[in-house]
Amino acid sequence: MSILIAENLKKHYGEGETLVKALDDVSLSVERGEFVSIIGTSGSGKSTLLHMLGGLDTPTSGKVVIDDKDISELKGDALCIFRRRKIGFIFQSFNLVPSITVYDNIVLPLQLDGRKADKDHIANVIETLGIAEKLKTLPSKLSGGQQQRVAIARALASKPAIILADEPTGNLDTKTSMDVLGLLKTTGRKFEQTIVMITHNDEIAQMADRTIHIEDGHIV
Amino acid sequence: MFENKIIERLDKMLDSAMNGTFVESDYDETRLSRLESKWKEFLGSSVLSNKNLEAERHRLEQFISDISHQTKTPMTNIKMYTELLCEEIAQLKDSSPDREKAAYERISKYADEIKRQDQRLEFLIASLTKLSRLESGTLEVVAKTSLLTELTDSAIAAVRPKADIKKISISVTGCDKDMTASFDMKWTLEALVNVLDNAVKYSPPGGKIEIDITSTEMYVAIHVCDEGAGISEEDAAKIFGRFYRSNEVQQEEGVGIGLYLAREILSKEDGYIKVVTNEQRSGGEFILYLRK
Repeated sequence: MSILIAENLKKHYGEGETLVKALDDVSLSVERGEFVSIIGTSGSGKSTLLHMLGGLDTPTSGKVVIDDKDISELKGDALCIFRRRKIGFIFQSFNLVPSITVYDNIVLPLQLDGRKADKDHIANVIETLGIAEKLKTLPSKLSGGQQQRVAIARALASKPAIILADEPTGNLDTKTSMDVLGLLKTTGRKFEQTIVMITHNDEIAQMADRTIHIEDGHIV
Repeated sequence: MFENKIIERLDKMLDSAMNGTFVESDYDETRLSRLESKWKEFLGSSVLSNKNLEAERHRLEQFISDISHQTKTPMTNIKMYTELLCEEIAQLKDSSPDREKAAYERISKYADEIKRQDQRLEFLIASLTKLSRLESGTLEVVAKTSLLTELTDSAIAAVRPKADIKKISISVTGCDKDMTASFDMKWTLEALVNVLDNAVKYSPPGGKIEIDITSTEMYVAIHVCDEGAGISEEDAAKIFGRFYRSNEVQQEEGVGIGLYLAREILSKEDGYIKVVTNEQRSGGEFILYLRK
């Protein structure tokens, strides 16, 4: 069953002579529980694509369906809430809130949503990611790899329909990258999460079950 | 106020359904009571379908056991009769005139081929049985803190005979005596032997296999490097699939299940396996990551 479907996605900037086709007719689908990597060089349109899939940007035409819901039908607050409940984001720059502890960062999306945290699930996630001893620490005291592990825990805590990861190891050295990717892969599988990951690196893309290549706004 | 109460009641119904403790609160003529009954009915049918799935899984496991058990006798017989055939032909060949020797030679080749295919079939059935037990959860992978040296020593011992025939040396670097990781000894040995077995198979005669152990914050990594042709970028994505065999190795022995099994085993103990493609280095390299 497809959890994510993108149909004929187009994103064009400017017009006439200066028309730039960042995405030109991209269609793809991701099955529940799959780990898919989208690989392309910088400027290939892969980040634009991820932004469309996550509802962070609207396409010029085409549609994105997540968990049977066409997100182009959602406007304003509804889209915001949908994102919070259904999508977990992992960014290159971790994006943790610096003034609150690791644990509070992990449960923040749940609290924003007014939901009770599933304590067993979260304890299991924390244990698997090896950050149990860091829960009361502020993010700034952690290494880059540890910060990204916290970000993975945050994405997993709310059991989203899909996790979108944008160059999750872009700011990490090779050794730490393998740690973070290994954990992303094993937690994805353990908690039956669907993951779509953007990368420009072949070796990193190899970690996924399936790789989608994107070039000049097209899937190749 | 009234609405809040109903929402709260519905929220509780969902919670109790999720942890399997839902019971109808009361029976009266309200719509809420009717809804509860309907909810109970729905839960009942979904529990039933889960039970059916469980029964189905059990039947499948039984079926696989039957296949593996019932094929043993005929396969042993094939093996035995082929051995007899080989022996008798060898005797006949020695005592027969030259013009018949060629014919016996041919027959003995057929017998050898039967023997080879029988071994292959035996291996295939054994692998498939293991795999299905692993996937259906009949055999569990239980990770616990274990010694790395024990793992590498046993794995090397298992492939040593084949390595010796091809005069291939196997060395281990970077492994302290008391180094540990969290893994299931029996299953992880199976995975590592599969990887080493490939390394021996695809190494040139007289080659070297190096097992290098490194460590990150979360994992212990076992690098298995050989001097074979390695894996191309194109094949990297496919080799961990079931029954996948690269075009280049169609001539070699094997059924294409070892790496798939290795990947399944490692992921069940929170580790993983990856390949370093031959664009990045000469020779083949597989890395098994075990959780610390």
